[in-house]
Amino acid sequence: MAKKIKQIAIYGKGGIGKSTTTSNISAALSVAGYKVMQFGCDPKSDSTNTLRGGNYIPTVLDTLREKNSVKAHEVIFEGFNGIYCVEAGGPAPGVGCAGRGIITAVQLFKQQNIFEELDLDYVIYDVLGDVVCGGFAVPIREGIAEHVFTVSSADFMAVYAANNLFKGIHKYSNSGGALLGGVIANSINAPYAKDIIDDFVKQTNTQVVEYVPRSVTVTQSELQGKTTIEAAPDSKQAQVYKSLAAKIAVHEQSKVPAPLEVSDLRAWAAKWGDYLLALETGEVRTEAAGNL
Amino acid sequence: MLKFIEQPRYSCAIGAQQTVVAIKRGVPILHAGPGCSSKVSSLIGQGEGYAGGNTIPCTNAGEAEVVYGGEGRLRNVVDGAFKVIDADLYVILTGCTSDIVGDDVGRVTGEYQAQGRPIVYAETGGFKSNNYVSHEAVVNAIIDQYVDVHNKGGNIQKGLVNVFATVPYQDPYWNGNLEEIKRILEGIGLKVNILFGNGSGGVEEWKTIPDAEFNILINTWTGLGIVKHLQEKYRTPYVHFPYLPIGGIETTRFLKQVAGFGKLDSKKVEAFIQKEEEKYYSFIERTADFMLEFRYGIPRRFYTILDAAYSIGFSKFLLNELGIIPAKQYVIDDTPEEFREEIKKLFAGISDLRSAEVAFSIDGGVIQQEIREEPQKNRAIILGSGWERDLASDIKADLLIISAPVTYRLVLNCGYAGYNGGLRTIEDIYDRVLNTYR
Repeated sequence: MAKKIKQIAIYGKGGIGKSTTTSNISAALSVAGYKVMQFGCDPKSDSTNTLRGGNYIPTVLDTLREKNSVKAHEVIFEGFNGIYCVEAGGPAPGVGCAGRGIITAVQLFKQQNIFEELDLDYVIYDVLGDVVCGGFAVPIREGIAEHVFTVSSADFMAVYAANNLFKGIHKYSNSGGALLGGVIANSINAPYAKDIIDDFVKQTNTQVVEYVPRSVTVTQSELQGKTTIEAAPDSKQAQVYKSLAAKIAVHEQSKVPAPLEVSDLRAWAAKWGDYLLALETGEVRTEAAGNL
Repeated sequence: MLKFIEQPRYSCAIGAQQTVVAIKRGVPILHAGPGCSSKVSSLIGQGEGYAGGNTIPCTNAGEAEVVYGGEGRLRNVVDGAFKVIDADLYVILTGCTSDIVGDDVGRVTGEYQAQGRPIVYAETGGFKSNNYVSHEAVVNAIIDQYVDVHNKGGNIQKGLVNVFATVPYQDPYWNGNLEEIKRILEGIGLKVNILFGNGSGGVEEWKTIPDAEFNILINTWTGLGIVKHLQEKYRTPYVHFPYLPIGGIETTRFLKQVAGFGKLDSKKVEAFIQKEEEKYYSFIERTADFMLEFRYGIPRRFYTILDAAYSIGFSKFLLNELGIIPAKQYVIDDTPEEFREEIKKLFAGISDLRSAEVAFSIDGGVIQQEIREEPQKNRAIILGSGWERDLASDIKADLLIISAPVTYRLVLNCGYAGYNGGLRTIEDIYDRVLNTYR
């Protein structure tokens, strides 16, 4: 029997560190001996940059624009440690339908059975965060990814985007779509940030997979066009990513999340807003946050 | 709940391609998926005309146009159309795909307009409306983007009128109807912009739309959006006759209403009406003996399965001039809610003594089922579409095909409007009846 390829989709609000996190997970899994493909599903097409020395690669849709049929091999490029890098790409900003572009790119790969041919262990989709239309939900529909992880900071807008994603997962969960593995809490430095994320996952019936602190090592690595795993393999931050990758590797059971209704989410945020104000004015101390 | 609509008699918004085909030397350019245009042609487009049917340039938009946007492809097709089709007016019409993706067709059209090309565009994505409504959108687009560029108005010509009547091709007899309407309006002293078909002066005539003294709308609700737009834009008043005038009584009523509105020379109007009525009734007089003896041979009841303008027009004629009694009348043009009360009132007062029951339905299957279930105690005639052929044969009714799809008739200059249209109706009904004689 052919081995089961683990397909994972990683979502998160734009600019939250989704591609950075995804690339480091890919790199860590690859270093651990797995065969990995990273599939960027964002019209900006910069998901795999740090796996390829900062270089952009021709995208599936750019290649399709040039000619009618594309062989998957023509748009797969090897990156750090033999990781297969693919960028779906998209139309020029302001025209066409990027969502349909993602569908086209993902289906092109599915039809050509390329994952089996390459004998992959992991395919990781790095997807634009707000599930704005059906196209961006393709990786979580039936038969593509099984597990979804969402990258979120403790900022309200990031949490809002994560909650929207949960709604998407909830919708597709009845028809064999992907389920939620958990939240990757990013840029968690202030103590209250951890509390906010912990409270959010509790409210929405999920879990935090890893807390990733903001670190200058990441910035330094990215400026060299590399992942932290490649540029600073022994750093403390690299250990965090390795730990995260290891948890994802053993992760088996994903769940249906319980997204909050918009009004509930606002009420929840307002509660934290009041608390943070009280914290600033010294009315409460950090340790008390757990009781909130 | 899922609802299937069987045999609708109109098309989606892109059906307005036929509005353009009906303009002399007008060409529609479709920015739509493959198949949209030919489906419309096969439903309502008997004959290709100048550049209709298979001649219509189309982007055949597919997945590539969805993903990357279809503006480049559209430019390509427009450039090609300019090269190979010699026309006076080009009208870009968008289909669902382009409207959903959001191609900026206005900008693309604007580039050609800036070069002085006679080209306009209208968004006719199928999800937006049916072709009764998009007909208005296309006519208004031509007025705003083409006519207005050449004529800003303010130069009213006494006695000049624009006529908006049934929707070309959606009404299979549009050209014959328009010719008769133009003839009778000229007869009472008006100069007529008929705008579509053989009797029209093409785009040069369209350019004089703002110069009209008033507009005439001969339709129940379709076209109100045009005459109201013209009233707003050029302050042109309009007179509204809410159904197709068929036969002596209604045509005279129509002419008198127009003459009253336009304060025309009543002597001239009366003289024309008298001459026309004499001619009209002379034919009936000549065959009066035959008609009288034959009075039990013609159908006793009639059903109409037509759009509102035709349904009311025929009902009045059949009842008041031929003495056939109305059964239930079906209005199939997806009449907007706000016009339905008025239509019910018109049917309620179909004559001084009679009223007719009216139903609004777009589902041919439901309508036919209802008629099948009614007791057919005496001979009926159905005025419907080619799709009523089996029904008519099953219930042993006569059928006069008036509505699209006509399928079993070839239409050249036949029309049912006016004095001549009334005579034509009598001929056609008796023709069907006599044909069943052994």
